[in-house]
Amino acid sequence: MAKVFVVVEHRQGVIRDATFELISLARELQSASGLDPAAVVIGRGVKGFAQTLSKYLPRTIVVESETLADFRYETHAAVLKDILEKETPLVTLCPQSAFGMELFPRLSVESERPCATDCIKVGMEGAGLSVVRSIYNGKIHSRSTFAPSGGYLVTVRSGSYAPAAEAGSVGAVEDHPCPAFKAPFKTEFLGYREAAVGAVDISQSPFLVSIGRGIKDVENIPKAQELADRLGAVLSCSRPVVDKKWLGKERQVGTSGRTVKPKVYLALGISGAFQHLAGIKGSGVFIAVNRDAKAPIFAAADYGVVEDMFKIIDALKEQIGS
Amino acid sequence: MEILVCVKKVPDTADAEVVLKPGGTGIKEDDLASGINEWDNYAVEEAIRIKETHGGTVTVATIGSAESEDVLRRCLAMGADNAIMIDDAAFKGADPYGIARGLRGLAGKGFYDLILAGAQAGDDGFAMVGPVLAGYLGWPHATLVTSIFLEGRMIKVTRELEGGLEEMLKIELPAVLTIQTGINEPRYVSIMGIRKVRAKEIPVLDPAAIGLAPGETGVNANLVRRTGLAVPPAGKEAEMIKGTPAEIARKILDIVKERGGVV
Repeated sequence: MAKVFVVVEHRQGVIRDATFELISLARELQSASGLDPAAVVIGRGVKGFAQTLSKYLPRTIVVESETLADFRYETHAAVLKDILEKETPLVTLCPQSAFGMELFPRLSVESERPCATDCIKVGMEGAGLSVVRSIYNGKIHSRSTFAPSGGYLVTVRSGSYAPAAEAGSVGAVEDHPCPAFKAPFKTEFLGYREAAVGAVDISQSPFLVSIGRGIKDVENIPKAQELADRLGAVLSCSRPVVDKKWLGKERQVGTSGRTVKPKVYLALGISGAFQHLAGIKGSGVFIAVNRDAKAPIFAAADYGVVEDMFKIIDALKEQIGS
Repeated sequence: MEILVCVKKVPDTADAEVVLKPGGTGIKEDDLASGINEWDNYAVEEAIRIKETHGGTVTVATIGSAESEDVLRRCLAMGADNAIMIDDAAFKGADPYGIARGLRGLAGKGFYDLILAGAQAGDDGFAMVGPVLAGYLGWPHATLVTSIFLEGRMIKVTRELEGGLEEMLKIELPAVLTIQTGINEPRYVSIMGIRKVRAKEIPVLDPAAIGLAPGETGVNANLVRRTGLAVPPAGKEAEMIKGTPAEIARKILDIVKERGGVV
């Protein structure tokens, strides 16, 4: 029977949410195409994770070693290559995250299996695998298949599948021996570094006025700050504003910045990249102002305004003033 | 330090309407502005900063046609020493593996210490060429790099993780790094600056010159095969607020009061 494996992503003692989304996908491939699902967890002291995962999938493969204490593509690709060669899963899944982006393209070369990254939909088409990817800033969907291969690697965009619930039965946990590594290693993990904590904590504010690329110039920042002040809101932003150093990293909303859940989120001139939208899931009411009627943010917002953000800023200030 | 930076020209689709060609074989690019891929611009700037501090040369390369020449000239105006064009005739429709095979041929010839590439591209967004190229070369890599410190034959880099967290790695040279946006502030390129590099020769290499056998790249060599493009189905749409800016502002304030209990 063909197999589908989920490579478990964990960091600092926690299984990351994206893993449970991939468990949903693995179950879908099981019910639609009869693939046998299993989780693969790699690290040091990960038996506890294996116990958790056994509540979700019928099989969990554990590889433990002192050398695997910290994630490095060198060690993890070598372990996975060994597992893929012995177990020959048809499909191996991983989140499209800093972990998956570092690991899977390289594993693809090392294990000689084709990889498609950042997929939003994955399914079997006959004996082959078919994926859908979201490209050109989310404006186009591209469908792809693969050159025939004994196994395929796929990384999946977070939020593409709902997180799985426990299965109601307990699966098997198996130890897989850690292979010998080709030392010396060319990479070494030195440690984590937290982003500097700024003066504001945007995650604590019930009302965020958030600006994006539409702000256009650093000279326009005070206009947005003044609006936020007068509304009693905190100013936040999307990635391009931080990349240009117009606001500090502590104000960035999104997967690489802060996750927020305000009662009100007013987005001005933000196009709505999925990394940004992932940072405001579960917010109260979401109002988006953007000049581009086709901006992906309108598919996520509760209320939309197609208009120049500066006209709306001025009109809001006038309304508050009167 | 000899640095190679891999760049590409992409259409700017962030604030533009994207229209499919008939049959869904591609997108209509005629009406779209285009320029250097945003991530690549940061990579070029980073390479030039390393050169300015530690010496060496910066070479930029693209797989493209005459239409990409302006992107290479722009990189030269920023301060790159050399530019190389790999003729893309054999690369039409190539997947990230095909592109990486082309770059491998170039990297193998150049005796580079460091290869930089954008972490991903604004068009197809695979984020694969850098780490796949490193795999083909047998070099170490790091993706999503947010800072680089040189220490002899080693470098220290930080990688962007999620939630504001970064990790720090030590990597042996030669290496391939993919650069995340925000690592630096790319310098402004003036028209005068571009004029100054107008006469600089840009060699155009064909696949044979970089040791690529026929059939090693292009659609037929693809491992990931695009079968069709489509406009995404319309999902849930926001309730649109219409009117004059004043009317819209009033409505927004009503929603804020009702839902947030603020203002």
